[in-house]
Amino acid sequence: MTAIQVDGLRKSYGDFEAVREISFSVARGEIFALLGRNGAGKTTTVEILAGFQRPDGGTVRVLGLDPVKDRAKVRKSTGIMLQEAGFFPDLTVARTVDSWRELVPAARPRAEALELVGLTGKAGTKVRQLSGGEKRRLDLALATLGRPDLLFLDEPTTGMDPEARRATWDVVTDLAAHGTTVLLTTHYLEEAQRLASRMAIMDKGTIVASGGMAETLAAETGRVAFELPAGVEVGDLPVEVTAVEGATVICRVADPDVAAQTLLGWAGERGLRLRGLEVRTATLEDLFLDLASREKA
Amino acid sequence: MTQVRETLAVARLGGRIYWRDKQALTATVMTSLGLGVGLPVLMDRLRPGDPGVVVAQLLGMLAVALTLGAFNQTAVSLTARRDQLILKRLRAAGLSDTAVLGGELLNIAVQSVLIALVAIVAVVSLTSATAPRDPVLLTVFMALGAAVITLLGAAWTVVIPRAEVAAPMSIPFFMIAGLGAGAFGPMNQFLPGWLSTVLDLLPTAAVVKVGEAAFADGTFGGDLRAAVVPLLNLSVWAAVALLVVSRRFRWEPRRS
Repeated sequence: MTAIQVDGLRKSYGDFEAVREISFSVARGEIFALLGRNGAGKTTTVEILAGFQRPDGGTVRVLGLDPVKDRAKVRKSTGIMLQEAGFFPDLTVARTVDSWRELVPAARPRAEALELVGLTGKAGTKVRQLSGGEKRRLDLALATLGRPDLLFLDEPTTGMDPEARRATWDVVTDLAAHGTTVLLTTHYLEEAQRLASRMAIMDKGTIVASGGMAETLAAETGRVAFELPAGVEVGDLPVEVTAVEGATVICRVADPDVAAQTLLGWAGERGLRLRGLEVRTATLEDLFLDLASREKA
Repeated sequence: MTQVRETLAVARLGGRIYWRDKQALTATVMTSLGLGVGLPVLMDRLRPGDPGVVVAQLLGMLAVALTLGAFNQTAVSLTARRDQLILKRLRAAGLSDTAVLGGELLNIAVQSVLIALVAIVAVVSLTSATAPRDPVLLTVFMALGAAVITLLGAAWTVVIPRAEVAAPMSIPFFMIAGLGAGAFGPMNQFLPGWLSTVLDLLPTAAVVKVGEAAFADGTFGGDLRAAVVPLLNLSVWAAVALLVVSRRFRWEPRRS
């Protein structure tokens, strides 16, 4: 079952093409990450999916419905944590949740909603006195108030401290485990890697890489880094060097384990030590950097 | 949740915010009540034994109070909520656009009618003015007028670029409405005929016309006849406002 189906979506603001014919789908119960730098087109895509904006071209289906024509029906089954949206600053956290409970059918009890996002202790605090991260958590509480089938999370942990960020990841994981489909946009690569099973990377309005998280990363190169031993030239090394940062040599290779074994064998034959040796498979950050370097090239 | 329940829920939320908003309480409630009660009471002291003058002053001030409480408050409140992305958040709550906007306008219209009713009761209690002969007709038209004027306030937000300029861009309207309704004395007698005619076309003028009938001697049938043209006036303004709102209302600040 498909929760979101996007085909050839286009959206422009005047002469600026924010989204250029992108296509992707999200299965029900899946956490899907839409990644990209600021201005890549992620928020525009989410706002079209949530029915806030009309697409200029292409087709979009959310839970089998047109989010613009069937906006009321779509919104009944979706929760939205917008990247930017205001609160009434003089209401307390508890009063804000209570007010929203009147607007959302079959809403969670206030205590449950606040506990879910770790704001129970802030119930009596006015919204204007909350930190940026606490406001994001209140935002998440409102987005999940109606136990939505589909949750849009646009940069959900921006401004949160590491502890709150991890707590939010647990909430999202738990919601997905109970069947909620999640479309997540973020530029925290660790967040996407931790939460999502599939992803698409957007750049300048287009999708430049997409697929299952594990497969996409596996298809990319790994990384081996170490300190260049004294008296050794970069050209003497048995593997191709990608970059030298200070005394550290970085090699991007298809199989980092094989490259590390080759290097260790080579160093052992010469009685050299490879200090600070670091071997790892590709991360999303590597993928981002690769895409950026390809773009520059 | 039905559309009506959603609209009422937004209106209740708006009401809660309204009575916590010091700016709204000062600019709308205190000013409207201060002018709406103070000037008729002053007129009663200056012209004792002439309740007709007091009623004329009261009706003029009702036009001012409705403009301040319904038009200006709508323009200021909606542009602030648009710029603070609160309207966007309300839409994200799963409510229909009609419920979000309808609830916001319903709240403001109700508050402005309440302010006007308090002003009438206070003036009748404190001056030589008698109570309106037909209070039902007066109340109905104040409610209709407030509804249309809040809609016009929503339409006016289309041209307001940002919240900071909403109040100054809306102030001229209460001056114009007050001038046409005689709130500032018989100044309209010195205006060119065409301008008086234009001012008589304002929605506040429709409420004042019915108010004059409701306070004057007469019959129920006469009141209904007096209400026909004002009803037509309000209908035309409502249609204009609805057309603008349905086609041009902005839910979010401009992106550029």
